[in-house]
Amino acid sequence: MTNASSTRSAAITGRSSGAGSVTGIRAVVEFARNLDLIQTVSLLTLVLTVIFSFDHWLFHIISRTCFLIFILRPSSLRRPQFWFALALAGTITIILAWEQVDNHKYLLVYWTWVLFVLHLFSQPDQQKRILLFNARFFLCLIFLAASGQKLSSPSYRSGAMFEYYLYVDPRFAAFGKLIGIHPAVGDAVSRQMHFLRSPFADVDGNDIHIQGSDRARVAALAMTWWDVSLQLLIGALLLFRRRRTDGIAHVLLLFFIFTTYIPAPVFGFGWIVAIMGFTLAKNKFPKIAGVYILCFFAILIYQLPWRDWVLAM
Amino acid sequence: MIIRSAFSRWFLTLCVPCVALLVVGRQVYLSMHYGLSAWKGGGMGMFAAADELSNRYAKVFLVQSDGNRDPLVQLTPDDFDVLNRALEYPTRENFRRAAKQIASENWIPAFQRRPLLKVNGKGEPMHAEEKAFRVMVASPLQPEKPETNGIEIQFWKLTYDPHTRHMHGSLAETFVFSPDELFRPRATRNNS
Repeated sequence: MTNASSTRSAAITGRSSGAGSVTGIRAVVEFARNLDLIQTVSLLTLVLTVIFSFDHWLFHIISRTCFLIFILRPSSLRRPQFWFALALAGTITIILAWEQVDNHKYLLVYWTWVLFVLHLFSQPDQQKRILLFNARFFLCLIFLAASGQKLSSPSYRSGAMFEYYLYVDPRFAAFGKLIGIHPAVGDAVSRQMHFLRSPFADVDGNDIHIQGSDRARVAALAMTWWDVSLQLLIGALLLFRRRRTDGIAHVLLLFFIFTTYIPAPVFGFGWIVAIMGFTLAKNKFPKIAGVYILCFFAILIYQLPWRDWVLAM
Repeated sequence: MIIRSAFSRWFLTLCVPCVALLVVGRQVYLSMHYGLSAWKGGGMGMFAAADELSNRYAKVFLVQSDGNRDPLVQLTPDDFDVLNRALEYPTRENFRRAAKQIASENWIPAFQRRPLLKVNGKGEPMHAEEKAFRVMVASPLQPEKPETNGIEIQFWKLTYDPHTRHMHGSLAETFVFSPDELFRPRATRNNS
């Protein structure tokens, strides 16, 4: 009797929690559907410029000032001057140290210029057309150019690049530990590499046999081909401009964002790619647009110091 | 703002993508011909190659007027900043800028000498060799004879072979800068 009633209550709880999650998903979809595209994209970009942007005083001052202006006067987001200030600050920051700026930071600057350009137009239709065109263009460029550069690079194709980073890049240490590569392997490799770099050491033939792990080799090969095939597919599918291919591309892009930024802490890139995906999905695929909204939260959650927790275990 | 002409509309729509394509093309060109890191400069090649600061390094030496060379390892953050910039885009001009910045410090020898350590192919230290270098430290005091030392920067690259699990350091280029090149203004150098 007790068992029967507890089973029944568990079923009811399960059903109600299931119904609750369905309602939650519907609410997110409805929320995404009701958003104004230009307004939302502008706000998400402004957030990006504040939290994942250039590490330079000029851009810090301008982006925070713009954010303050937006808080005091939300309509400022629709003014081209607002975006001109951000785009110009970003451009100057890049010009000052162009050879040291990561590739994805250039993307942020292009996107702020796109927002400046579209706010020069007064008709919402024209604004939307410019936004959609640029979002598709940049997604295709990012993923196709990246796969081109990756496939033409011997150290990428052989899996050497990811294997090397699994050993030496501290950002990958926690992920490596999760997939069974003990951090001691990376520490040993770093110690060995130190001798190669030091002018106070004379290494035989400048060549060191490192104590790697077979698991790292397999993981690196899996990461290599997972990464490039996903990127190539997303870029190629978006070229067709068909509903079905776009739908598949969005699913792959979301999969890419949700999975890539767990090991790779390049959150600014994830955020901007998600903005572009959201732009394309907003009107055609409201459910997918809802998932894009969730992935912004996922990117924020990925910043929890989980790497330190994993390494401390 | 009302933009009526079709040309203006097209121009404004296409200008940012066109600039992006030009920058990507330039990055790929510089990367192929001048060693610019695949990660930097506006291409799309992040995580495309093991080809950035973790694989590129420099060995810096102070070259005395008598020809003696002392390695410089205790560089300041400013020195590292400009040196890293040169490692990302390894042109002679960028390394000259780094050498100039490093040479502007007052390098003085510490009391002890550090012997060269012999390391075997497994990365294990074997023994100290007879050859030893002076350990140079940057002094906050002003140098007495500032313009007599040159700088040599060796630009090295690390490659990893996953099949043999060998990490190999290869000297890509050596840049030697005389005191004349480091301390005299360019116009004076050109005239002489």
